[in-house]
Amino acid sequence: MAQEITIKVGFGGQFRELTVRIQDDDVKPWQPEDRLHLIGDSLPRVDAAAKVTGTAKYAYDQQPAGMIYGKILRSPHANADIVSIDTDKASRMPGVKAVLKIPDIFEDKSARYAGAEIAAVAAETEAQAEAALRAIEVEYDIKPHCVTVEDSRKDGAPQVGRGGQQNVARISPRMGRRGGGNGDSRLARQEAAVKEIIDQADVAVEGEFRTEVQTHAPLETHGGVCTWEDGRLIFWASSQATFGFRNEMTSNWSRVKAKECQVLSEYVGGGFGSKFSAGREGVLGALLSKEAGVPVHMMLNRSEEQLSAGNRPDSIQQMKMGVSKDGEILGTRIRSWGTPGTGTGGAGAHNDGIYNIGETDKIEYGVRTNTGGARAHRAPGWPQGAFALEQMMDMAAEGIGMDRVEFRKKNDDHPIRKVEYDIAKQRIGWDQKRPVKGPGIKRKGVGMASNLWFSAGGGGASALVRITKDGQVEVRNGSQDIGTGTRTVMGMVVAEELGLDLEQVTTRIGNTDDPKGPASGGSTTIGTVTPAARLAAHHAKRQLLEIVAERKGWIASELDLKDQEVYKVGEGSLNLNFKDACALMDDDAIEVLKGRPRRNYEGFSDTNAGVQAALVEVDEETGEVRVEKVVAVADAGKIINPMTSESQVRGGVIQGVSFALFERRVMDRQKGRMLNDDLENYKVLGAGDCPEIDVVLLDVYNGKSNTQVMGLGEPPIVATAAAVANAVSDALGVRIYDLPITPKKVLEAIAKRDAARGTSEKKGERL
Amino acid sequence: MQDHPEDTPAKEGVSRRSFLQGAGVAAAAAGISRLPAEALAKEQAETDLQVLGPEAGQITLKVNGGSKSASAPPSTTLLDFLRNDLGVTGPKRVCDRGSCGACTVLLDGKVVDSCSMLAIDAVGREITTVEGIGTPDNLSHLQKAFIEKDALQCGFCTPGMVVTCTAMLKENPNPSRDEIRQGLSGNLCRCGTYQNIIEAVEHASRTGGK
Repeated sequence: MAQEITIKVGFGGQFRELTVRIQDDDVKPWQPEDRLHLIGDSLPRVDAAAKVTGTAKYAYDQQPAGMIYGKILRSPHANADIVSIDTDKASRMPGVKAVLKIPDIFEDKSARYAGAEIAAVAAETEAQAEAALRAIEVEYDIKPHCVTVEDSRKDGAPQVGRGGQQNVARISPRMGRRGGGNGDSRLARQEAAVKEIIDQADVAVEGEFRTEVQTHAPLETHGGVCTWEDGRLIFWASSQATFGFRNEMTSNWSRVKAKECQVLSEYVGGGFGSKFSAGREGVLGALLSKEAGVPVHMMLNRSEEQLSAGNRPDSIQQMKMGVSKDGEILGTRIRSWGTPGTGTGGAGAHNDGIYNIGETDKIEYGVRTNTGGARAHRAPGWPQGAFALEQMMDMAAEGIGMDRVEFRKKNDDHPIRKVEYDIAKQRIGWDQKRPVKGPGIKRKGVGMASNLWFSAGGGGASALVRITKDGQVEVRNGSQDIGTGTRTVMGMVVAEELGLDLEQVTTRIGNTDDPKGPASGGSTTIGTVTPAARLAAHHAKRQLLEIVAERKGWIASELDLKDQEVYKVGEGSLNLNFKDACALMDDDAIEVLKGRPRRNYEGFSDTNAGVQAALVEVDEETGEVRVEKVVAVADAGKIINPMTSESQVRGGVIQGVSFALFERRVMDRQKGRMLNDDLENYKVLGAGDCPEIDVVLLDVYNGKSNTQVMGLGEPPIVATAAAVANAVSDALGVRIYDLPITPKKVLEAIAKRDAARGTSEKKGERL
Repeated sequence: MQDHPEDTPAKEGVSRRSFLQGAGVAAAAAGISRLPAEALAKEQAETDLQVLGPEAGQITLKVNGGSKSASAPPSTTLLDFLRNDLGVTGPKRVCDRGSCGACTVLLDGKVVDSCSMLAIDAVGREITTVEGIGTPDNLSHLQKAFIEKDALQCGFCTPGMVVTCTAMLKENPNPSRDEIRQGLSGNLCRCGTYQNIIEAVEHASRTGGK
């Protein structure tokens, strides 16, 4: 069943009417002329007091009575088969309660990266568990390894996989419309066609770009605390997918096969895409607890987190682009390689999105290496893709002598981004003169880059709203808030619908005994959960108003709730406050469970878009790059809470600057191990390097759902490193093709520039 | 006790101890002092030599104004003792080697990384964790500023940040933006709340602790 409604869509005072079909029981999206009392206000997070006082209990902090500690033994070798594991001595060590061997549980007798799980123990204290790990004797059949893309691609490289698996696999052939026929012959024809376009273009530019492996490094590591009660598994998990975690414990294919499981993730110390799965540590925790018969605390330590809990794959991206003199991109050739660890999936780079890049010939390769596996990482594939694409955009604009921003506008038809370019340009001071400071030592430059996302959410969530006779309101959804502010925003939507203050609504989240919610993935949580929460609140309100109407002799359809009171639409207050209205109930409470309306409407814009501009200062003497300012113009549909939205954008920008300047997994090619599996040698950006971040949020009535919200976790990280790289190039007059942009690379680039100009020979010698 | 060779006046002209002391002074001048745990342990050892362990013994600490006691081996770090033995879980274990500041507590009012010192070296000293700075019903001025400025996202670094900034404002009630950045240099946040934290400290400083 559906109903047709007419809504306004657009932004910035420019709206048009659109007729959309919505589910029969759905409510109309908030309209530009609606007077909203909470939506759009910067309200503090509802869980902020718990977080600033240390009373927020994370999985890491759980200490059920009788709890013992689980630890995992990991392979020191990058590529080996396990011949035997002797745990006899370990199981007799003091305090040891349970011992497990990985091949017995996962049917995997190989250890294909240094850090792979071999065995696990649980003991009364952490020190006892660690001592027991040291007593486990393992015999390995050690094989040669390769830990970099270059090594793995060489002829005769050691085989990473087992059986007939090749190290390099084509993961995305992208067929153009000149295709026809099958497979390789189609690719060959497309390659020839695009080559011809580029060859005949007025100008062609090309480059090879590289990005490094970035670990997620959430401050709370992976794992959790679990206990069994009468066959029911209770798991306090550091998870960004509570229901997915539960399924991993209860499904038929699960190794744990719990009949029932409750996952609790009230507070989660960051995820960034790495915490969708329970992981081996989750399975081992549950099984150790079952064997020991007591609760087990199984959290990874920092080294394990860095080695085995996920990362963003690296990339080598070769791009060639043909453009016309008037600024149209005619054709683009792309080849890319990346390693997601021992597999090949997820190593692609989104370097062909965002702009119209003409006829495209793109092939991506996944390369197996003996390294810890990749996981989805905040906009998977996009920051590395943008790093290459956006530099190509600048190179092409420079090649035809066109302004860099005008060139982007010409090859971009996103309705929102078209407006965002000028906002970014103006706020970063794009056209200002930036005089060189000192005797040619410190140079400033600006760069721009764009992002695109698809986060209107979808089905798969329900919310329960409960209004009690004594006027208490609670909203429940079992998904999680990993720091994004979902809990707060869900409460705001319900409070808005009921005409209440945020403090009057209790929000429960992170408990799989509550209605189903999505994983925090694809930035879809908020767009999935809030329409369900609003719908449940709306129908709870209607039920309450039916009761009020019946008891007072009013007409329910004429009533609504606003400013803590019942009022008559079009007339005003009826002098009955919310609490007294609730007291009219016969029953203890009204409870309404509503699913997320199934479809997104055909709205104003199916994607959300952003533009970022960076201002950098480069010290030509030391090679140090300082990002002074980033302007981030972002669209996330209707903005519910500007403050938490802004925090999301700032966070994305900060991780992007960190990716641009500092982050890199360093592998020892001889030993096959990660050298910086900690937080002192794996550099992440600190307060001293944090730029000023100027966030501009567009409030877009996109008409996609009854709340019109789009998630904002991922989009802001896409453009940042690319904008920084373009700014560095603008400052120096020479381009840096590899991340991170370290002082060494900057000095090398300056030396090359000066050598080419044939000017400053002294500087070249100094290197 | 004999000095280590590097503590005797050496040719280089700078001793290990004077270097550490100097580092402390530099840090204090920058707006905040972070006592090197090694220096503390050494000081302790010089005044109070006794053999402990390896088995567990009773350790009593002054935590957040009260006396708390539990049995633990002398090799237990202050952080693990607070969390695992006393159930004080505000301080977090993140890097476990003094590079992230999530475990920051105050020791006689000075910030220390509780992961990098032993519990027995904190005996007799006043230990303040985030729980001792304010409670949800009785928030400190700075904690209120953190909430108001959204200086937290996932919240896992927040206890360490709150403790560090509390000490920072005590030593320097009117820090400049650069001094705040410098003061935060021992604390990592992965969600990206630095700018909000800086704004929160500025806000707390401007409104003068009232």
